[in-house]
Amino acid sequence: MNATASLDARGKSCPLPIVLTAKALRELNAGEVLLVRANDLAFVSDIEAWCKKTGHELLGIVSESGFLEARIRKAA
Amino acid sequence: MGVTEEALLDDPSAEPQPSGVFETELRRLSQRVAELEARQHSLARSAAQEDKITLLVFSNSLDRLLAAFTMATGAAAMGTRVSLFFTFWGTAALRRENVQTKKSLFARLFGWMLPKGSRNLPLSQLNMGGMGPLMMRRLMKQKGVASLEEMLALSRELGVNISVCSMSMDLLGFQPQEMIEYPNLTYCGVATFLERAATGKMTLFV
Repeated sequence: MNATASLDARGKSCPLPIVLTAKALRELNAGEVLLVRANDLAFVSDIEAWCKKTGHELLGIVSESGFLEARIRKAA
Repeated sequence: MGVTEEALLDDPSAEPQPSGVFETELRRLSQRVAELEARQHSLARSAAQEDKITLLVFSNSLDRLLAAFTMATGAAAMGTRVSLFFTFWGTAALRRENVQTKKSLFARLFGWMLPKGSRNLPLSQLNMGGMGPLMMRRLMKQKGVASLEEMLALSRELGVNISVCSMSMDLLGFQPQEMIEYPNLTYCGVATFLERAATGKMTLFV
């Protein structure tokens, strides 16, 4: 699925990746997908926890060279 | 129960009695069920705490405030309502830098000796006469860690609630016009804090 918007949180440390994700997702409509790039060590664990808590769907996390790429579908 | 039931069924002379005994027992049991149901409802209600957390910010150390604001912005990003209560030394962290006010001697001394706002906070360790915080801030910038001021701005944006202990304000001689501009910043007392903490899911003392 193509991402509607993307967020570059590379080089940013906790809690910025999830705080910026939350902010970016506010701008999207339900069902749209946000692509988040980050390289914070806590990113995998935190984005999983964040999605679990907020109910948005984590479509997957891909490891790119030197950073991670998560796709999140906004819940209704 | 089982014995009585069997005895009643076996004994034909007891024939007219069962309905009476059973009815009494049935009434007693259904009353008990209703009682337990009511209790279960009230328990379920009290267990359903609101999705909110409360942080009591007592210190004005930069490191502690960073911890408080990391949790506050993180929780707000997760959809949790957050209340920060600033009390005692913590109140100094919310001062603005250059505000002139008429004060008593003690209030002037406190005002002079306590940090003036977020940019002037000491570290609780390795302060080194103010060198520590400067180095820490530089390092944080290098490492992509949000500064306290950035986190304060994010808190504002995410609707984190800030309340200030009125007693501390009075004791340390701080006046409302000395405090930062923050949406819905309120001055309150222990009852407000306790009420909010008790109905929330978590309270931390920072």
